Amino acid sequence: MLSKSQAKVFFLVATLGFSGVFLALTFDTMRQIPEQTNSAEISESALRGRHIWDRKNCMGCHTILGEGAYYAPELTRAVERRGEEWLRIFLRDPEAMYPGRRRMIQYNFTEDEITDVIAFLEWIGNIDANGFPFDPDMAPTAAIAAAGAEAPEVLQAAPTYYRNVCQSCHAVEGFGGNTGPALDGVATRFNEAELHQWLADPQAVRPGTTMPNLNLAEDVRTELVTWLLTLD
Amino acid sequence: MHTQTNARKIAWAFFATSMLLLVLQIVYGFIMGFAHMGHDVLHDVIPFNVARATHTNLLVVWLLSGFMGSAYYIIPEEAERDIWNAKLGWIQLGSLVLVGVVAIIGFHLQWWEGRKFLEIPRPLDYLVVVNVLAFLLNIGMTLFKGNRFTTTSVTLLVGLTAAALLYLPGMIWFDNHTVDSYFRWWVVHLWVEGVWELIMGAILAYLLIKLTGVDREVIEKWLYIIVGITFLSGILGTGHHYYWIGAPKYWLMVGGIFSALEPLAFLAMALYAVAMARKGERRHPNRIALRWAVGTGIMSFVGAGFLGFAHTLPSVNKWTHGTLVTAMHGHLAFWGAYAMLIFAMIAYVLPEITGRKLYTKWRAEWSFWTSNIGMISMTGAFAVAGVAQVYLERRMGMDFLEAQEAVEVHFLALVLAACLFTTGIVLFIIDFIKYGLPQPAENVPVTSPGGDAGPGTGGAASA
Repeated sequence: MLSKSQAKVFFLVATLGFSGVFLALTFDTMRQIPEQTNSAEISESALRGRHIWDRKNCMGCHTILGEGAYYAPELTRAVERRGEEWLRIFLRDPEAMYPGRRRMIQYNFTEDEITDVIAFLEWIGNIDANGFPFDPDMAPTAAIAAAGAEAPEVLQAAPTYYRNVCQSCHAVEGFGGNTGPALDGVATRFNEAELHQWLADPQAVRPGTTMPNLNLAEDVRTELVTWLLTLD
Repeated sequence: MHTQTNARKIAWAFFATSMLLLVLQIVYGFIMGFAHMGHDVLHDVIPFNVARATHTNLLVVWLLSGFMGSAYYIIPEEAERDIWNAKLGWIQLGSLVLVGVVAIIGFHLQWWEGRKFLEIPRPLDYLVVVNVLAFLLNIGMTLFKGNRFTTTSVTLLVGLTAAALLYLPGMIWFDNHTVDSYFRWWVVHLWVEGVWELIMGAILAYLLIKLTGVDREVIEKWLYIIVGITFLSGILGTGHHYYWIGAPKYWLMVGGIFSALEPLAFLAMALYAVAMARKGERRHPNRIALRWAVGTGIMSFVGAGFLGFAHTLPSVNKWTHGTLVTAMHGHLAFWGAYAMLIFAMIAYVLPEITGRKLYTKWRAEWSFWTSNIGMISMTGAFAVAGVAQVYLERRMGMDFLEAQEAVEVHFLALVLAACLFTTGIVLFIIDFIKYGLPQPAENVPVTSPGGDAGPGTGGAASA
């Protein structure tokens, strides 16, 4: 059986030896990280965004690269998933997007701060994180088909705003999100004035609705209503 | 024989601080539990990220306070002299409390750094450094000016010093988030899966020597082997935090292999505690302290070793990373490895320094069982919620919020289990209060027939 001094030698060799290997790997990792993370592309704006990320302790609810808390969504590929437009609306007023559901703090970010946060998230999203976050591998086949499918023809004419924002909750011909109702045949149910009224202030029309007030500019709203009226 | 009057008072005060902070930690845990259940009623006052930072930082501070209390008791006792500078000890306790209080108030005013586990703002970090230096100086001088060097006390000192050194990389700002993350884990991982295990091994060795009567040479030999296995696996095991942060791919292999070996150290710790408890011939009357000591060995294996292994391999971790599965592992790991260890130490120390023997009463027994059954049930609730989240959200592609709403009911189970857990903690604290203040050493009869064969047995060993 081992004696105490042999045990001590084992401890010292294991500790010093593996510390050495760890330091060597650290050295190599530091050499490789700049390329793997595109550190040359960390813009001034992205850096400011990271300071905001840090100052607001976003990791206290969210995860990024899988690190943080488990109360709010994983944000590594948020820009790819939602698009800049959607994130802007969300960051201006988080509760507007998910009324009555889990709440995010209203930080009253300025437009510049929102730009910075999105720049940071965009940089994070482009890091080569060895595949993380992985695409769902057990998604129901219908969802996979929908995700991979070409957008239906009717959507080719949709305004950019629709594709960037509305589509994440609403579907047409089965293409889009399922948080809000599908919009097929919406023109047969509502007229132009009703659609305008609805989009201008959903709460006024139906109090308690989960449809957010998107504070649409006049021309964007008109463009949307015009297109929605073609869905009959 | 007993000359450690000052050291005992200081140790007691650190333990009392620990218990106070633990109670606060539990309060914030409930706030988060209710938020996850859909009742985020304090959102405007204590939003989730404040509760979360407070909960985890209180954990770190109360465990550190418990380690320090243990060191203030063990080192003078092993060195056979009183603490080197009692006044410095009190100042150090005061400044630790000050840092803790300021940090927690700061969190509520959003004065922090958004870096998981290391949220304490930079100016306070410097105060932490000064604080820890004062602590190390005090116990270091006590050891060197003492009459006896033992493997146990030197291991404890080395562990505490290494913990202090490893805090430093966490204080550097890097523009690249990936680099920041890389070095943040030097603190967090190399603490809890490295040097804290060294501290744990030393405290456990001390308790086993005192409580089982097994020869010091035997216990300390195994101490070397266990901490050897800890570092053999734990240092490169850090790689399991580097899989998905933008670090090279070889970390998948290195982290996978070595972190899969990490449970061995905890298994060794568990078997060692059980074996020594069986082997012990001279039975110390404080059976509850021995139960906490053996319990910490076993539960650290289940929580830190086994449940860590459950999601450490890259093929599993690709789905579980950043989900409630981590919270499952985290809760039982910290409870088993570190919280129970400090409870063992307190259960042993209080009768020694107050001369009272409350360990025969019902509360001591029930606090052990209710807290453990409660924590195991909490872990179960996290496990069900976590696995459901992994499948619904990560593998089947359900929207995050919908998946969270689907697992809300498991947080009701969590909160109920947490009530049971809290009952155990409250019983423990009632005993803590009933023990009263430490008595002057000369008034306390020697109650320890533990197997310490006396001065010199440890030789002039150094780690």
